[in-house]
Amino acid sequence: MAADVSRVRELHLLPLDGLEPPLAEEIAARLSRRLSAACRILRSGGLQPTRLPGRDQLDADALLAALEALPIADDAVLVGLTTLDIALPIFTFVFGRARQGARAALVSLARLDAGFYSLPSDPDLLARRTTDEIVHELGHLASLAHCQNASCLMSFAGSVEKVDVRGSAFCDGCRDRLPAWLRIQPRL
Amino acid sequence: MSASRAEAVRPALRLLVVDDETIVRDSLGAWFRQEGHQVATAESAKEALRLCAERGFDIALVDIRMPGLDGLELQARLAAADPELTIVLMTAYASVDTAVRAMKAGAYDYIVKPFDPDDLSLLVKRAAEHRSLRAENVRLRKSIDSVAAPPPLLGGSLAMKKVAEMVETVATSDATVLVLGESGTGKELVARAIHAGSPRRYNPLVVVNCAALPEGTLESELFGHEAGAFTGARARHKGKFETAEGGTVFLDEIGELSPKMQVDLLRVLEEKVVTRVGGNTPLPVDFRVVAATNRELRAMVESGSFREDLYWRLNVFAIEIPPLRERLDDIPVLAEHFLARFAHAMGRKPLQLSPATVEVLRSYPWPGNVRELQNAIERAVVVGSGPLVEPNDLPLHITKAPPGAGPGSLAEAEKGHVRAVLDAQGWNITRAARILDIDRVTLYHKIRKYELQKPADGG
Repeated sequence: MAADVSRVRELHLLPLDGLEPPLAEEIAARLSRRLSAACRILRSGGLQPTRLPGRDQLDADALLAALEALPIADDAVLVGLTTLDIALPIFTFVFGRARQGARAALVSLARLDAGFYSLPSDPDLLARRTTDEIVHELGHLASLAHCQNASCLMSFAGSVEKVDVRGSAFCDGCRDRLPAWLRIQPRL
Repeated sequence: MSASRAEAVRPALRLLVVDDETIVRDSLGAWFRQEGHQVATAESAKEALRLCAERGFDIALVDIRMPGLDGLELQARLAAADPELTIVLMTAYASVDTAVRAMKAGAYDYIVKPFDPDDLSLLVKRAAEHRSLRAENVRLRKSIDSVAAPPPLLGGSLAMKKVAEMVETVATSDATVLVLGESGTGKELVARAIHAGSPRRYNPLVVVNCAALPEGTLESELFGHEAGAFTGARARHKGKFETAEGGTVFLDEIGELSPKMQVDLLRVLEEKVVTRVGGNTPLPVDFRVVAATNRELRAMVESGSFREDLYWRLNVFAIEIPPLRERLDDIPVLAEHFLARFAHAMGRKPLQLSPATVEVLRSYPWPGNVRELQNAIERAVVVGSGPLVEPNDLPLHITKAPPGAGPGSLAEAEKGHVRAVLDAQGWNITRAARILDIDRVTLYHKIRKYELQKPADGG
């Protein structure tokens, strides 16, 4: 049965590996301003991510399943954050992963970082992209599918350029279907 | 844009994922559902065929390597079961050989595992557009079939039934056809019927009247020209053979071609390439030729005015349309057809031919054949006032046809009629040809044939 995420009061961020604390705090601060839910950073550890055979990438579905298996309070949702590249056996990579109606999501910062593309690192840009990707995955937890409006945050982005182009806001249609705690317009 | 409106723009696709690996089916299934599509999965070819038989799909993503029936074989079976299905093959091994085999098997595209998410998204979007365009194409072709169908070849006479049978027989082949018949018998109509019944019907039918243009202009019209080929040739111009790509070229009045044009045309027919005037590059062209003439081509060959090799190249399949005077039973049928058409076009109530009118129509030799009959009926609809078309609604020269101008005295009747029209028009060839419903070249031909001479002025 799908979890009820309509009454969420807290968003828990779980750094899974080497996410630098200042960056985690910046992301949490942005999320707090953006959502009407408290954002808390959990202590990392406890999960043993599996790598995809023959690939230098974590198995996103296995990691998501491990996150979903963690105890999560009824009024909270959990987002695991990894600095490593994640993928599925059938896909070359994914930015994030969430099942519609579940309580846990996963986001990778690896390909959101300009350094991945041999560009100078930009912590502010990385924090903005990561915040957007987290809110996108939260939209899936709230049972939204991908939107066809290319400028809506719920549209599918298969490249970092599209992550930037789609922006940070939900279209009116998606926004109307979100629970109140996710509906706040971005104030970046 | 709201989600519901977005769905109206691009409806959810019905997708079938066929792969023996659970992880692939589950991952793609979840991914496509998140995209808003309806997804079914099958772990074997057998299950895929069963699902396809039970319900329709828009797009099938099929793994190329599976135990039992592999993806290529399954692709063929799925395509046979549902020709509308767009099939994308999935492979773990990218190779030219794989791509070639997939495309040869009729797949829309193939994609290599693991997929770049953007590539897969784009591929599905393109496949959906392709499917939509193909469906639209089918709809348009059906529209063409219903809207652009040529008028039927009317006439219940044995001769016209035979013509209709020949048209039906030859249309589906790609053979060159030579249509013979007097002016106004409907040679172009036969050419249109051949084109409409052929596999080339969705491509153009290009009509060229070989008698209408001087040699230089006709050469440029038929073969095209390059910019600067001659004075006034400012831009490149495609010729009729190029314009007809994939379709049919109807060469009317082929007997009027000059000796040079006969040579040029023969080369095009034999080699299926054209070289534009002023150009050097031979361009391959794909067309079918239907040619027509009211001249005695065989006699022209014997007299040396028409090339024998071109004659045989054109005369692969000959259809001879009998003149109207040789199929009297068709006259009332055709007259009633034209009567209904013109009455409708002019907003008149349905009209009928009086028995006396039918008799007059049957007695007249119709040197202008069906075209002349059509014009006579049009005139009758214009001038007539009652529900019945009477003889006095017809043109005067028809009702005043000399007695005995029946089938036995055709030549004299035609000769007398042509001379009467020429005299009435002061031997103005253009006006006389228009009244006789024949072209000027044909009129000159008849003047020579009947040795008609313009009366001396002031006589």
